[in-house]
Amino acid sequence: MTQAESILVIGAGIAGMKASLMLAGPARKVYLVERLPIIGGKTIKNEESFPNMECSTCMVAPIQQAVLQNPHIETLTYSAVESIEGSAGDFSVSVRIKARYVSLEACIGCGMCFEVCPVTLPNEWEESLIEKKAIYVPCSGSLPNVPVIDSERCLKLNGTEECNLCVESCAFEAINLEDEDRLLELKVGALILATGSETFDLSALPGLGYGALPGVYSPMEFERLFASNGPTMGEITLRGSGAVPDRVAIVHCAGREEQGYCSGICCMYSFKFVRFLKHKLPDVQVFNIHSDVCVPGKNYEDFFRSVNGGDTEMLFTSSIADVHVSGTDSGLRVAYPDGGGVTADLEVDMVILAAAIIPAPLTARLAELAGVELDDSGFIRTSLDGSGSMETSRAGIFTAGTVEGPKDIQSTVIQAESAAGQVAFLMSSMADLTERDPSGKSVKS
Amino acid sequence: MSETGTGKTEMTARVGVYLCECGPNIAGKIDLDKVMADILSESDRYRNVELVIRRYGFLCSGPGKQYLEDEIKENGLTHLVVAACSPRDHDSTFMGVCARTDLNPYLYRIVNIREQCSWVITDPEEATERAATYIRGSISRVLRQSSLFEKPLEINPDAVVIGGGAAGMEAALALSSDLRRVFLVEKSASLGGGCGITMPQEKAVIEDPNVDIYLETQMSSVIGFLGNFEIGLKSADGKDEEITAGAIILAIGSDYSDPQESGRISFSESDEVHILAEAERTLEAAGDLKLRDGTMPETIAVVHCVGREEQGYCSGVCCSSSLKLAAAIRRLSPETAVTSVYRDLCLPGADGENVLRMARESGVELIRTKGTSLSGMELDLEKMDGTSEKRSFDMIIPAAAIVPAADTVSLAEMLRIPLDEHGFFKEAHRMTDPAGTTTEGVFIAGTAHGPMSVMSSMRFARACAGQVLTRLVPGERIVPEVKVTEILEAYCTGCGNCLDVCVYGAIYADTDRGISVVNEAVCRGCGNCFASCPSGALRTRHFTNEQIFREVDEALR
Amino acid sequence: MPDFHPRIIGFLCNWCTYAAADLAGSSKLELPPEFTVIRVMCSSRIDHNLILSTFYRGADGILVAGCHPGDCHYGEGNYYARRRFALLKKVMETLDLEPERLELRWVSAAEGNRYAEVVNEFTDRIRKLGPSPIRTSTRL
Repeated sequence: MTQAESILVIGAGIAGMKASLMLAGPARKVYLVERLPIIGGKTIKNEESFPNMECSTCMVAPIQQAVLQNPHIETLTYSAVESIEGSAGDFSVSVRIKARYVSLEACIGCGMCFEVCPVTLPNEWEESLIEKKAIYVPCSGSLPNVPVIDSERCLKLNGTEECNLCVESCAFEAINLEDEDRLLELKVGALILATGSETFDLSALPGLGYGALPGVYSPMEFERLFASNGPTMGEITLRGSGAVPDRVAIVHCAGREEQGYCSGICCMYSFKFVRFLKHKLPDVQVFNIHSDVCVPGKNYEDFFRSVNGGDTEMLFTSSIADVHVSGTDSGLRVAYPDGGGVTADLEVDMVILAAAIIPAPLTARLAELAGVELDDSGFIRTSLDGSGSMETSRAGIFTAGTVEGPKDIQSTVIQAESAAGQVAFLMSSMADLTERDPSGKSVKS
Repeated sequence: MSETGTGKTEMTARVGVYLCECGPNIAGKIDLDKVMADILSESDRYRNVELVIRRYGFLCSGPGKQYLEDEIKENGLTHLVVAACSPRDHDSTFMGVCARTDLNPYLYRIVNIREQCSWVITDPEEATERAATYIRGSISRVLRQSSLFEKPLEINPDAVVIGGGAAGMEAALALSSDLRRVFLVEKSASLGGGCGITMPQEKAVIEDPNVDIYLETQMSSVIGFLGNFEIGLKSADGKDEEITAGAIILAIGSDYSDPQESGRISFSESDEVHILAEAERTLEAAGDLKLRDGTMPETIAVVHCVGREEQGYCSGVCCSSSLKLAAAIRRLSPETAVTSVYRDLCLPGADGENVLRMARESGVELIRTKGTSLSGMELDLEKMDGTSEKRSFDMIIPAAAIVPAADTVSLAEMLRIPLDEHGFFKEAHRMTDPAGTTTEGVFIAGTAHGPMSVMSSMRFARACAGQVLTRLVPGERIVPEVKVTEILEAYCTGCGNCLDVCVYGAIYADTDRGISVVNEAVCRGCGNCFASCPSGALRTRHFTNEQIFREVDEALR
Repeated sequence: MPDFHPRIIGFLCNWCTYAAADLAGSSKLELPPEFTVIRVMCSSRIDHNLILSTFYRGADGILVAGCHPGDCHYGEGNYYARRRFALLKKVMETLDLEPERLELRWVSAAEGNRYAEVVNEFTDRIRKLGPSPIRTSTRL
């Protein structure tokens, strides 16, 4: 196989996995690089996806399995791209495969090693709502179901003491504390950047109380709180007190003003949270403090209507920027200017902030490595000719999903399919070129 | 081969049963030697069967797979049972091992004695007994399994695109190459679709030697499946033509709702009410918007969300179009006052924000209401502070909702694909296969799928193209699912129940023979049809009742 | 009936509930030894013959579990299963077989804990109900 038939996909979320599955085959090899030790991306953090409240795991697990079992996809988890050189049809990429200390081949995922590890640290994948050990898988149901050791926290690896408990606990001799990073040089014909996005850093909005008031939640924290494989096994209880909330306010558009755009999906996930809350806590009162309700497309208004009125009270505010959350003796107070501009108060015990979708912190670095342009918001720029093309400013490098801008799962998958098509087209035209041009200007090595 | 008393020659089955220790994960709980001894002690239960039963450390490891491969070959195994972990982990691993031998992978079966025994049953004796039961069930079942063979099919890589608007043209351009022809079929006399403006792709499509354009032509018939469709075309002058292709992309576009469908909007023919798309076209063509008497309007109101309530969805693009138009009017005729009346501004993304800024900067008056009604030329605005206001304008431009095109229903029937609750073509899966339909090889692009922007339409078109480009590769064959349903002609009454429940349209009626027939290239093997059959004429390959009852019987022994 | 060990069959859909059973397994949740799992591709595959024959073959209880409504891997198979079950329960009454011995539940791939709850609850229910009248009235 030559580089003209190999493809590198960066990011193993739903976009990267879909594109990889479409492109991989006897004639085309796909390298799928993922920064985290597991594949699946953000979708698997959501117990259910809007609008049909489909179980995300049921939807994504078969895709994850198909990726891991596909003989034409080489999945490189816990890995990062370090350099990208060359041009369309002839890229050289170096990938650092970080030391995992646990063999992907030998480990069967029994979990004996977690039990004996003496070190606990916050589980960031679970939004730090729960702890994990220094040898861990991020969540139950991880794929691949093989742990990784945090080398900075492991007592042996950080030089604190000669702890060897995990090695001794492993019946499969799968743990090797001598493991080292490996560098892999890949020759590929095209790349797809599918590294996803982040949610707005809510601590930048002090008026909304995130970080200072334990009852104020980010959307991802709430997703994990609801998840049956999450930190509370799906019980919605308040941080600190453990009490069940009676009154919940969802504040829309957190960070919209700061980012300068509407993310287009936050209204929908807010209404999904209403469903979550009413499903688990039928007597809970839910308020949505909103400005413009953005529910575009054929599927979303129905969903909005299904919660509006009955399950939640929609409270219009004339200025989201002036919404203020403060602590009271018994809970939280949300003050907001109403439709007439008069300040109204709402007493609740839980606040969820519908945070904007923003570029992931590593997007700028990736763009620099790949030599591709960003747009004014910091997402990767595509469709420079206005044709809907997923090609970036650098020929042979394509993109898909929320790395290109905020969007829902459907649009993410559409982009992945578009990008895969463009890569396939590029590859076949190159193969075609090689066949027709035996003069030596071959793109094949 | 052994001679039996009946005079028939019967094959002796040699069933290999391999128990994976999975380190302590299985062997630490389950007494594998006892399981092996128990099963062997009853081996006379199986007629003409020799059992080879062994245990091994890690069957999924490299040496384990090699061991299994050698065992299959050396023992001449006719069937294989692997007692190990979940099929979700390693079914494909061991099928791969079989594929390297002469043993058909469908004469093998994995038994999950880890997730379903050793990890979840507390008492070791009970876990051991359970494991033996599961393994017996699988030995019994595997003997009833049949060899299945993949049947790769030759494919035609060409594609038919129905509809010559933005989505259709983009799909055609994304697909066409010297390796693949595209047939672009347009009902009207020109390309361009509903956009009302000249699309930049039009020239490229016309000049593309690999795109055959059929104007004033419609699809009149279709049979086939992914890779092999036969499509009948009928032109406006009555000419029939048949073409073949591997995929069909539906890019027929959409219509606009009638504003007066909404009870809150009423006007007469003589009122200066013009729907948004019409106003856009006039402005593009003439450079200004005049009243019928030729004078310039002093005041114009653009009313958003007309039809949203009735249709039950937000079209998602009208806010942007409305504000763009409002800003354009202000730019072209600054003396005209333009007011935009809306309920929610749906302007996702940085582009949306730019449109809003542009509208504000050009001096468009923005009024948010809880609801708006129109009578003649007078708008009744229900303001957010609870008050209401009546205002008259010289011209009213309602932004009507995007609704399914008239041809949607007939095409859906012809292609046997369902419509969604709003009457658009329904996707195969809203999230994971949004451009596909339940009929493999038929894809949906653009507003035939639902309301969306021109940019999204082109992306959908490219996604359809992506499916075709990656699945129909010239010179490659496709391999349909083998675990499919078959219909036994002798039992089939042709009642058609199975036809009705199949979401994939994989079953068709053979009216000559009076039976239903499964198209194996299309069937996905869910088995829903099986349960619908009143005469027991169906068999779900690899999941037959006979096979399942073997598992049941061993469990209930 | 302290010595009664019911014989229970669980028909699980490949895509959701079988995956949940795996999750329960890898989470080492405790499950009753009386419960036998049989994997099918879709809950819509389960016909009346499979259920009734399984009872006549001596099952004390049958649990069928698949994806939540709306989540079916095959579009809408589980809706068909639900309708067929409504009819099956009526048929069971006419056979003097307690309809509670048959249960259709939705368990998603993420719900390992729920899977364990459902299986344990159902097994307890069958333990309380005692042996199936078919088993006691025939020579099974």
